[in-house]
Amino acid sequence: MDRGRAACIFGKMISNKYILIAFRLIVGGMFIWAGVSKIIDPLGFAQNIANYRVFPEGISFFLALVLPWIELICGVFLILGIFRYASALLLSGFLAVFLVLITVTIIRGIDIDCGCFGSLSAKVDYKLIIEDSVLLFFSLNIYFSHKEEQIRSK
Amino acid sequence: MALKKLLLQIALILFLGLIIGLGINFPLVQKYFLGDFRFGFISLDEYSSIMFITLGEAEELFSEGEALFIDSRPKEAFQAGHIMRAVNIPFEEYKKEKALDLIFLPPEGTVVIYCDGSECNSSVELAKVLHKKGLLDIRIFFGGWIEWTGEGLPVSSEK
Repeated sequence: MDRGRAACIFGKMISNKYILIAFRLIVGGMFIWAGVSKIIDPLGFAQNIANYRVFPEGISFFLALVLPWIELICGVFLILGIFRYASALLLSGFLAVFLVLITVTIIRGIDIDCGCFGSLSAKVDYKLIIEDSVLLFFSLNIYFSHKEEQIRSK
Repeated sequence: MALKKLLLQIALILFLGLIIGLGINFPLVQKYFLGDFRFGFISLDEYSSIMFITLGEAEELFSEGEALFIDSRPKEAFQAGHIMRAVNIPFEEYKKEKALDLIFLPPEGTVVIYCDGSECNSSVELAKVLHKKGLLDIRIFFGGWIEWTGEGLPVSSEK
């Protein structure tokens, strides 16, 4: 898809910088919370990942050690404004993968906790798809505001 | 150029996460390579009363007749068929009904917990709960119902 056009579509929605700051605080805050809640129990999170029955045990284990830290770093960076577009793009990628995983899990009829917020996680259901989609929309907005800036500066 | 910068920043974030995540969890990484967590992601240092057992060990405990076998699968699965003399503590249902607190088992004595097989997790989760309740000898039969029936060992049903 034409990148400029995509940026324009998103650009129209994110012209207000205060809304963008609010998006950064919401997405950043959610991922800081998500990261910390999993960092305190890496083995519990490894089991959560294994329960999706998608990844082999070894990958579940190493993902559980590393992913929460990346979420935390991105969340902090997003709020502080360091590498904010890279963080937003990375988090958008994660959210897109989570969405696919959640959908596949629902279709396969596997009844598990999502593992999104450590031991406070909700069950994998349609509500989670809506929550993730909203966060994805926010973080894509943040990322495309970068394109908007580029277009304006030209 | 902007794309290159963006990719570089993403790589840096991923690298930072990798270094911190593996660095802070280095003891777990070491344990992993020493062969821990093969059966489930549970720290056996933290849960000292829990042990994973094989089909052979489960069979031996069964024939000795001293251990209490606990089936952590849902009620319907248990009623359809279970290891002979096992009792049912359906983990997920009890968790939903917040009934796990009501379980009482004497701390001494051996319990053997199982669920379907290696892909289910309720036996490990139930074992953690029982450990917190003070049980001293908890064995998780990881092969579970699938392995037990695969060998044609004694079963019974409620139907």
